[in-house]
Amino acid sequence: MKKALRAAVACLLAGSMLGISACSDDKPEPGPTTSTQLTGVAAILDEAQGMTNEELFRRAIEESNGKTLYGIGNSSRGATAATAFIAALQAIDPSYNGTIEWTQPKNNSIFTILNADITSASHEFSMTLIQDGNQIQTKMINTGNLLNFIPKDWRDATGVDIDANGTPLALQTLSKVFLFNNLDVNANYTNVWDFVAEGSAPMFMGVNSEPVGKNFLYMLTEPTYAGYMKEAFDKLPAAQQAYFQKTVDEVAGDVEGLGLEGENAKYALAWIKLWVTQYNEKTDDGPICNDLVTTSAAGQSALIVYSKLRSVEESATASAANVTVAAYQNDYAGPGGYGYKHYLMIPKTSPLPWTAAAFISFMVTEYDGFAAWGKDIGGYSSNPNINQDHSEDGFVDGVDTYPAKNDKGYDWWTAADGGRLVLEDPEYASRVSANLSDWIDVAANG
Amino acid sequence: MSTNVTLMPERAAAQRGDPPQGVQSSGPPVLRRVATYFSKPQNGLLLVLGIVLTISTLAPLVSILIDTVTVHPGSIDSDRTGLMSGYTLFNWTDLFDRSTSTKEKLFDQNFLDPTVNTVLMSVFSCVFAIIYGGFFAYLVTRTNLKFKKYLSTIFIFPYMMPQWTLAVVWQNLFKSAAVGGGSDGLLAAVFGIHTPQWFYEGLFPSSVVLGLHYSAFSYILIGAIFRNMDANLEEAAVILNTPKWKVFSRITLPMITPAIMSTVLLVFSSSMGSFPVPHYLKFSTLTTRYVEMSVNRQGQAGILAVEMMVFGIIMLVASQLTTSGRKSYTTVTGKSGQTQEVNLGAIGRWLIAAIFVVLTLFTSLYPMLAFALETFLPNPGDYSFLTGGGWGSLTTKWWLTSENLSESGMYGQLGVLYNTTIWKGFAGQFWVAAMAALAAGTIGTLVGYCVAKNRRSRWANFVNNMAFLPYLMPSLAVGVAFFIFGSSMGIFNTFLLLIIAGTIKYIPFASRASLNSMLQLSNEIEESAIIQDIPWWKRMLRIIVPIQKSSIISGYMLPFMTALREMTLFMLLCSQTKIITTELNYFDEMGLYAFSSAINLMLIVTILICNAVVNKLTGASLDKGIGGN
Repeated sequence: MKKALRAAVACLLAGSMLGISACSDDKPEPGPTTSTQLTGVAAILDEAQGMTNEELFRRAIEESNGKTLYGIGNSSRGATAATAFIAALQAIDPSYNGTIEWTQPKNNSIFTILNADITSASHEFSMTLIQDGNQIQTKMINTGNLLNFIPKDWRDATGVDIDANGTPLALQTLSKVFLFNNLDVNANYTNVWDFVAEGSAPMFMGVNSEPVGKNFLYMLTEPTYAGYMKEAFDKLPAAQQAYFQKTVDEVAGDVEGLGLEGENAKYALAWIKLWVTQYNEKTDDGPICNDLVTTSAAGQSALIVYSKLRSVEESATASAANVTVAAYQNDYAGPGGYGYKHYLMIPKTSPLPWTAAAFISFMVTEYDGFAAWGKDIGGYSSNPNINQDHSEDGFVDGVDTYPAKNDKGYDWWTAADGGRLVLEDPEYASRVSANLSDWIDVAANG
Repeated sequence: MSTNVTLMPERAAAQRGDPPQGVQSSGPPVLRRVATYFSKPQNGLLLVLGIVLTISTLAPLVSILIDTVTVHPGSIDSDRTGLMSGYTLFNWTDLFDRSTSTKEKLFDQNFLDPTVNTVLMSVFSCVFAIIYGGFFAYLVTRTNLKFKKYLSTIFIFPYMMPQWTLAVVWQNLFKSAAVGGGSDGLLAAVFGIHTPQWFYEGLFPSSVVLGLHYSAFSYILIGAIFRNMDANLEEAAVILNTPKWKVFSRITLPMITPAIMSTVLLVFSSSMGSFPVPHYLKFSTLTTRYVEMSVNRQGQAGILAVEMMVFGIIMLVASQLTTSGRKSYTTVTGKSGQTQEVNLGAIGRWLIAAIFVVLTLFTSLYPMLAFALETFLPNPGDYSFLTGGGWGSLTTKWWLTSENLSESGMYGQLGVLYNTTIWKGFAGQFWVAAMAALAAGTIGTLVGYCVAKNRRSRWANFVNNMAFLPYLMPSLAVGVAFFIFGSSMGIFNTFLLLIIAGTIKYIPFASRASLNSMLQLSNEIEESAIIQDIPWWKRMLRIIVPIQKSSIISGYMLPFMTALREMTLFMLLCSQTKIITTELNYFDEMGLYAFSSAINLMLIVTILICNAVVNKLTGASLDKGIGGN
């Protein structure tokens, strides 16, 4: 029945679509123009970039006293940070009575909401905390809809990496790490290729429902990370190498057509192909974590936000002790997960740009500003001075009870001899996504 | 109802369609005709309603079409054409391009497979809903089944719940780690029963869940026919010694065919537009694919919305055909004074009732109990208290946690009682539902009245179709249309847009209820008031509304209750915390089932209270369907 329906629909379409051809001969429009004479919000941000927090906060008090700043972000903790920010302003001026309303859309709708707000007649949102570097680049930066702001106090802080985290300004790097349920003693995940071994089905959010997952796959093809995949491949036993080699050979011919560079890209592509055909798609990391920590999930694996482990309530069938962070094993080979960023940006139509700039600066320069995220494992501020130490979060009364919760920190996770996190690069991801996205979608469907 | 007034000259004139004396004009014949036409308030009203409904229904639909040829920066159309704005046919050519094997695979997964899957899911949902709901309607209305009142009420519970909550319950009940990875569901964890993967993911559960949800619909529509059916025909057949199967196939079935056709159309279009059910049950349909493709193939996703619209128009045509067919049955659907219940037998009436009690236990009571229980579990889906953890492992933290600084396994959320986001979302949904119901109920009632008064007019027929069209459009397609429309109007993410979308989508509830009842109303009733020069608004308030109050209230109630648990229509129009159903979906996706369960309970209790209050006040009730009597 299904085949007959498919054939009928295909025939109908083949006939109806004949003759349709591209009609546009428009010339490409130039990107957003750069002007030496900045105006509006851009001009304010240009001026704000030269101000200290103290100066910014005073301008914010002048601008938004008695008003409400509307922020929109991918993290609900923006609301907690907002409370701390208001308190900071009130410490300067006790009569300050501005408020912040925080909206948290899920996944991709933030782009829709922001673009709709920017193009509408009246504008609501003053700032955003947004993820997915690829879409930010193509939908928001290339169009000039979101503006970047680099606070002076952040730029002047020791240890910040302006090149890596300044354009656009990153609040933090969040890690998604490979975990497995350790109750099955036969489960073996000591190599990143084990997660795509025959019969393995790690739980993961759908790459088309959470695009940062797809960005991870794009980034794997970047020469550094493709190199990690090759190294891990070389460490596999011969039998396993032979098994994966078939896929590597199969995709080798696609490397050039996809515009990828480096001789190791085929290893990344092979891993991606196996991953997208085998992973067990779930709606969110929350339910994955709920599943993975249970006794019935013995031997199961997943790639999820590290901080989800914080919310496991210990019970007879669920425990954070049931999971192991794959990269924490001494003999683990390959990337231990990936890192994506939360960026802080300001719409070109921001109604309260001074307050938005001050709030952003507060979050990336002050301990209280980042505390909402900093109190948990797996989130690392772009300003290392305000990070908190979580290396012993799994200790209970001095005993290492939940080793998976002992976060080894950003430096370890990103080191080539540590966790080898695959870090998101908006520019690279947006460059390869056009071709690679289709390739991944086709691979996912066999 | 009839009036005993003498036929006065004014009435004779009214019957001829002449204007009342005060509006006799002496201009050219055309102007005179125009003046005559507008001298009747229902004509002017019909014109205004026609224009408003045409614009409000068609403008969003045209917006979708335009969107499919618009360049979207950051999408594949912009990337491949090099354009940052303007128009292109790239989306159409690329989606249907099958020139290479890669393109062919993309065509399959982006268009063909979702289309076929959607049709199959919708067809199977219809079959399930008709058989299950129709059979139940027959038992309740035409037999001496036990526990009718209880069963009638409990049977429509799945319709009161947001449709995907049953999908979540289904998964939590049947999933199996041994079969599909992850953790065990309740059956596997407690009883060691492992169901095959097709049983809890894909086409089968999606169809069953939607079928269950819409079987209440089927029950309401088919039950209404059964209630009003003339039993004399069947009795005559029995007297003539006609076998029971022949009575059913030759008399009963033909009489309920129009109701079955109506149900098929409504369930088909509603199932087609469902996003959350196939999303949770991992089945690729037009709606799930639309959402996935809108990340980087926004224009092509719009084409899927156009496809859904085309299905909606096909449904409208089919509806027209079945409605015209229904006319031939109206002569035999007069209410009989001799309805006789079919005797199921002493054991049968108990046994069949018991079977339905058990079935509704799983479809209605179990979800409610599961929702309630979920709000006390230590972790979402953690039933360890059943398998050795003891009652002590249950917790009230999901309700009572008043701060989010110390981590208590709450993912940074406050307990339900302290969670202002939840309560604000609930208030937002209530506001949208109330306003949409008020607008839809009023407009729909007026549409029904004006169309009934001009029943032979083509314009009236057109207005009636315009009002009904959104109902046959899949919800997601209507949502997409209003998303594009709202964005271009600068009202995206506002309550105004939600209320407009809800109003347009739900006018058919009221217009159909109103039209059906107004058609039963004799013109004489109003004419006697016209003769006495009673103004139109007074005639409406003092005569029409009181007589048809039950139907009219149903026209307000159904939009209200539907909007109160609507998600698919609104999901693209606002941020997730604006209204409670999108928030509920957010919590479900995040795996925070305690919150989503609590919200579900809140919604169901609210709907039940509203239903009970209205039932008490007016006699109208959801389980008695549109018309309410």
